[in-house]
Amino acid sequence: MRNSLGLDFLNRTLKTTGLLLLIFLPFGIYYLGVYPALAVFSGGVWGIVNFIFLAALIRVAFRPEGVDRRRLLGLALVKFPMLYGAAYCLLTIPEFTPPQFLIGFSVALAVMVLKVFGRLLLGLHDENPEPKRLERAL
Amino acid sequence: MEYQTMLAWAAPIAVGLAAIGSGLGIGRAVGSAMEAIGRQPEAAAKIQTAMIIGAAFIEALTIYVFIVFIMLNGKIGAH
Repeated sequence: MRNSLGLDFLNRTLKTTGLLLLIFLPFGIYYLGVYPALAVFSGGVWGIVNFIFLAALIRVAFRPEGVDRRRLLGLALVKFPMLYGAAYCLLTIPEFTPPQFLIGFSVALAVMVLKVFGRLLLGLHDENPEPKRLERAL
Repeated sequence: MEYQTMLAWAAPIAVGLAAIGSGLGIGRAVGSAMEAIGRQPEAAAKIQTAMIIGAAFIEALTIYVFIVFIMLNGKIGAH
C-alpha cells in the first residue's frame, strides 16, 4: 500500500527532501548568495545521507532474524567517523555558518513532520481510512 | 565569575547532558521497539519505521546542541 507508514515512507520522505533542496538551490543562490545557499544545500544533503545510514543501521541491527554483524560494523564505521568528520569539515569552511548548515539539516525532519501531519489530517494513519474523514479533509 | 569562564564551563556540560538524554531516549525507544517486534513480528517493518523516525529526531537534538556548542565555542576566549 503506497500510503502505509512502512519503510517506503522513509524513501518517499528523502525523495521529497532532495527535490525541495534542488528547487531551493537556484533560488537560494539568487536571493541569499552562493555560499549561504550551498551551506543550506550541503546541510540538507548531509542530513539525507545521515538519515539513510541511520535507517540502514537500525534495519541491520534490530531485526527479527538477528544482527548482521559484518554489515553493522561497516555501516557504523562509515556513519560515525566518516560522516560526522565530513560534517565537521563542512563546518570548518569559513564561508559556511553553522546556522545555515542546521537549517539544511532540519529540512528532512520538517518534511517528515509535515508528511505525518498531513497523514493525520487526512486520516491515512489508519489501515483502512474512513471515507467520510477523507471526504471531510479534502 | 566572568561571562566567558561561565560559558566555557556550561557549554561542554550542556553537550554532555544532551548526549546522556539522547542515549537514554534511544535506549528506551529501541527497548520498547524490540519488545513490540517480539510480540508482533509481522509488524516489524512498521515498528522499525517508527523507531527510525524517533531515532532520527533524538539524534537531531544532539546534533543541534553540538552545533550550538560549536557556535558558542567561537565566543570562548574571544575578546
